[in-house]
Amino acid sequence: MNQMQEYEKLSFEEAMIELESVVGRLDAGEGTLDESITLFQKGVMLSKLCSTRLEEIEKRVRLLTDDGLGTKKEVPFSEESITGGEKE
Amino acid sequence: MSAVFSVSDLNHYVGEVLAADPVLSAVRVQGEISGYKKYPSGHLYFSLKDKESQVNCVAFRGNAAHFSFVPENGMSVIITARASLYDRDGRFQLVVYEMEKDGVGDLFAAFEKLKAKLEAEGIFDTAHKMAIPRLPRRIGVVTSPKGAVIQDIIHVLSRRFPNFDLLIYPSAVQGQTAAAELRKGVEWFNSTDLVDVIIVARGGGSIEDLWCFNDEALARTIYHSHIPVISAVGHETDFTICDFASDLRAPTPSAAAELVMPIKSELLSGINGLTDRLTRSLLHSVAIRKNRLMMLSRSKALLSPLRRVESESQRLDMLTLRLTHSLNRRVDISARRIDKDIASLDALSPLKVLSRGYSLATNPLTGSCITSVSQVSAGQPVQIQLADGLVHCKAENIQAGRIL
Repeated sequence: MNQMQEYEKLSFEEAMIELESVVGRLDAGEGTLDESITLFQKGVMLSKLCSTRLEEIEKRVRLLTDDGLGTKKEVPFSEESITGGEKE
Repeated sequence: MSAVFSVSDLNHYVGEVLAADPVLSAVRVQGEISGYKKYPSGHLYFSLKDKESQVNCVAFRGNAAHFSFVPENGMSVIITARASLYDRDGRFQLVVYEMEKDGVGDLFAAFEKLKAKLEAEGIFDTAHKMAIPRLPRRIGVVTSPKGAVIQDIIHVLSRRFPNFDLLIYPSAVQGQTAAAELRKGVEWFNSTDLVDVIIVARGGGSIEDLWCFNDEALARTIYHSHIPVISAVGHETDFTICDFASDLRAPTPSAAAELVMPIKSELLSGINGLTDRLTRSLLHSVAIRKNRLMMLSRSKALLSPLRRVESESQRLDMLTLRLTHSLNRRVDISARRIDKDIASLDALSPLKVLSRGYSLATNPLTGSCITSVSQVSAGQPVQIQLADGLVHCKAENIQAGRIL
């Protein structure tokens, strides 16, 4: 499970690149059967991780507002949350 | 003594003289608008003035309608007009055909100068540009929260990747304070590190409207940003200093949204494709090895040291066990897709068809489907499959041809 912990740190992009490389190496069919199985297991972990990364992104649109003291605060954004009819 | 004119005749004569003058029939005059007034008729009345003098101007509706902007008091313009005399008042005036904003030429010169300066400093160097992340976990956008631009961006993002995460830094995108606000936005995102990429966006507008994106300090801030910046200002044909300094120029704000976020379904099918290849490759390499082992175990040379074959065989069993274990993990991933497949299979199931009143005739002796009268002879047993059971029949007589 050490490997999994190491993979947990990868971004989607890094995991995708790693997965592509694992598939390439497995496709080449070099090495022993043990090595192939290890590669396969790595690949499955990475594939799971990639799918997880896609779902991890939280669906939200936030607007930064000033609290008057110079610090910014995030509030949910919707057209209604914008007051005034001024056009940009 | 020369002839005595009536006032009307004089005004008429002066009018003729003015009209006949080649210079005054199409003269370009630069000045500042004052006393601007638009009449319900659509005609515009104003004075054009400089430090010492002023002149009355009128733009008739037909010409005024073609002006590319709405004139305002205090605006510096260049008009093209003919000189005329308003007979009734004996007043000299200019009848305006065309009007353009003054100072646009100066802006272009300033733009080229700044561009050359920053280019020489290496602010636009391609080598310095950062790659846009393939999947930004959170996107920062510096733009006006009002108007169509932010709505367009949100619309495109939700179409491509439904669970996107967007953080808006509200900023003026034209006028005196805009450049400084835009800069603060980029700086704020850099100091907080909440986003993976920054979009600086504005919709289309005149060169003056877009001018804040040609700000030197803003260009430097973008250059120094450690988060990649996408510039999306105006229309496809508008280029700003900001565009050159950014890591990526998008032709429009909507295009920026397309460039920044991949299509989720495409990413998923990419991952699935790679996972399928993993399985196929592994099964293939197992098959090759199994084949090789079988060949070896059959060879006479190996028959004597049987123990070696036995141990290899045992090892194969162990590996097969591990493979099964691995495949089970793989099944987890495919489960969702398989569920979908089952749903579509179910829709095609013969049982569904049978439940709608159709039946299936088979030959009980061979078990094959009867699809033609030629497969049945009189007296032969026929089995009819209905949704809820079987009817065993015997063919009485056979009638060829379509009945229904």
